[in-house]
Amino acid sequence: MGDKKLIDFEASLASTTHDMKNSLGMMLNSLDEVVNNCTAENCPSHRHLLHMQYEANRLNNNLIQLLTLYKMDNDQLSMNISHYSVSDLLEETLLQSRPLLEYKDIKISVDCPDDLYWFFDRNLVLGVINNVLNNAFRYAGDRIVVRADELNGCLVISVVDNGNGYPESMLGSSVQTNRAVSFQSGNTGLGLFFASMVAMMHKNRDREGYISLSNNEENGGGCFSIILP
Amino acid sequence: MSNDLKNKKFLIVDDFLTFRQAMKQMLVSIGGNDIDTADSGENAIREMEMKSYDIILCDYNLGTGKKDGQQVLEETKHRNLVKYSSIFIMLTAENTMPMVMGAVEYQPDDYLIKPISKEVLRSRIERVLKKKADFEDIEKAIDNKEYMSAIALCDERVTKNPGNMLEYLRLKSNLCLTIGRYDDATEVFEMVLSMREIPWARMGLGKVHFFTGGYLKAKEIFQSIIEENRTFMEAYDWLAKTLHELGSLEEAQKILLRATEISPKAIVRHQKIGKISQEINDHDTAEEAFRSAIDIGKHSCFKSPVEYAGLAKSLLKKDSPEEELSVLGTARNEFRGNRDALLQTAVTEGIVYKETNREEEARKVIDEAAKILNGMSGTIPVEATMDLAKVCFDMGDKETGTKLMRDIVRNNHDNEQVINMVQDVFTDATLEDEGQKIISSTREEIIRLNNKGVRLVEDEKYEEAIEYFKKAAGGLPDNKIINANAAHALLIYMDKKGTNDQYIYQVLQYLEKVKMIDPSDEKYQKLLNLYEKITTSKTHQGA
Repeated sequence: MGDKKLIDFEASLASTTHDMKNSLGMMLNSLDEVVNNCTAENCPSHRHLLHMQYEANRLNNNLIQLLTLYKMDNDQLSMNISHYSVSDLLEETLLQSRPLLEYKDIKISVDCPDDLYWFFDRNLVLGVINNVLNNAFRYAGDRIVVRADELNGCLVISVVDNGNGYPESMLGSSVQTNRAVSFQSGNTGLGLFFASMVAMMHKNRDREGYISLSNNEENGGGCFSIILP
Repeated sequence: MSNDLKNKKFLIVDDFLTFRQAMKQMLVSIGGNDIDTADSGENAIREMEMKSYDIILCDYNLGTGKKDGQQVLEETKHRNLVKYSSIFIMLTAENTMPMVMGAVEYQPDDYLIKPISKEVLRSRIERVLKKKADFEDIEKAIDNKEYMSAIALCDERVTKNPGNMLEYLRLKSNLCLTIGRYDDATEVFEMVLSMREIPWARMGLGKVHFFTGGYLKAKEIFQSIIEENRTFMEAYDWLAKTLHELGSLEEAQKILLRATEISPKAIVRHQKIGKISQEINDHDTAEEAFRSAIDIGKHSCFKSPVEYAGLAKSLLKKDSPEEELSVLGTARNEFRGNRDALLQTAVTEGIVYKETNREEEARKVIDEAAKILNGMSGTIPVEATMDLAKVCFDMGDKETGTKLMRDIVRNNHDNEQVINMVQDVFTDATLEDEGQKIISSTREEIIRLNNKGVRLVEDEKYEEAIEYFKKAAGGLPDNKIINANAAHALLIYMDKKGTNDQYIYQVLQYLEKVKMIDPSDEKYQKLLNLYEKITTSKTHQGA
């Protein structure tokens, strides 16, 4: 105890993550090109390519989260809160998830007033929604609705699906940070942890953002919400 | 919309070939046609010098020991390498801002996180283009120095276009600050803060306190911003400025040092640390700061002779004259053809030679400096001139020293701060009484000169007044009142007899001068109103 370690593991991890992300970025670019050139009609591997794209996107989201959390942990993250159109934001998340949509034959729709504007950090919130959509594609069934509106002075963005819903243990608001981490089940809970950190960093007056997980009473599907004051 | 992209000139800046290729392909697939690439910031600047691009996509990280994306952006804007309708998009590998955001005028139009799909790229480019178009007439008004009209346009847009609301408000508040309308600026900041705690709005309130002399209040505000947003760099700079005004130089130095730890590449901040360290006789820190500035300057358009002269001065305290002279030699080379730089180097060389008792060489560079100063038209650099005067007094050359000091007084006769500094120099040279006499007689001379012109205006001899003030302002390029009255004479003439482009151009020159010296000056505010009244009624006639 107390001995200086040979390497600063955290910092090495961060810089390696950075490097991995760069490689992955290049790969995703090339993959994008390949997918565009090989349509379903002329390429029997089309579905495999889409699957690769999907997994690579997941990987990329994870790396982004790791890096962001590293920065948060080291007090290097600067928030950049401005006033944005919520429907523009959601439209962009849809653009990003398009390849996944095609791959899984999932119908997705956006339900958001055109004149809804809110204060938030665009990149951070984009990261959260992309990640939730990514997961929803895994568990969603065949329908996803992304809904946004103002409620009690807060912006509420929800991703609702018609799958099997979240397990009982995960339900509730203000998801506890480490509770969901379970290496055995393969669900590290990192995504939710990230989401709730991002939500909490959005403060307005004495209110703080949070996330909430629930299941739909009618069809049992999952509903993720991020609530930003 | 994608057809629009066909006519746009693109520049991709990235150090990775694969990325440049991928990006190019992506642009082609969304309709791009005219696409160039550059593998470094240095080459990007070269390309932009030759061709006027509409859309620049620049990676932030362009390799160690080279210009980074922010420095490319700064140089692009600082040197006007692109039109204001052009867009600059910064690409980063992370989803956090490359923090260290510079001042407002050096922010990219958008940030994109790599990797990026072509759909997102297209949608972002289109959105930014649209936004640029929304701001175009405001930017034009600012370009024409029609600040009041620009502010009015912002007001009108805020309600019409809620998507850009915050940007319009920010632009408006900045305009209010630059033309010294502090009450109007405060109103905007408070309005924004009533919606949300936004750091730039809080900063704005601090700035207003600073400009109106409320340094303690300003200090409190800047400190609280730093506490909440450790990476909001602008707050550090303003806090240091405020502490400087409050006389807490050590604290100011400490704040700036903390800021460079977070954001090490801002050259201007290193220059400030150097200067402040010299003021508190911390020559080691000064030396280090100026060395950093010189180092960063290799990649930055903000390099200046300040850091070379500063380094030389701090080396002087360490008794290494030969190294000093070589530093100054480098500066001479680096800034060849730049009069300001030459002046500063020559003056500093003079100090070095004097301190090391090389009178003859000192004489030579001082004569050179005086000659440069004589040949300068327009603004006279107060600091360098004072330094030169000091060396002259030190060497017993009272005549040149006095002449230089008189020039400063003539141009700043109503600026107490400068006058006090002048008095200090005289006192140090044991010429206290004589200095006092020179100051008061020079002041009287300027007041007489000004009054004569004012009388011409009162007697409605406008043409004569215009000529009179034009001559006066030529000889006193930095005098606030003379410049203001020169503008006044022209404006009154145009108000009675109609406008002409030549006079409008001259008025603007004078008004910009006054704004630079003191934007909150009451007379300036009145002139600005009169100017806009005259120019807008002119456009109405034309329409």
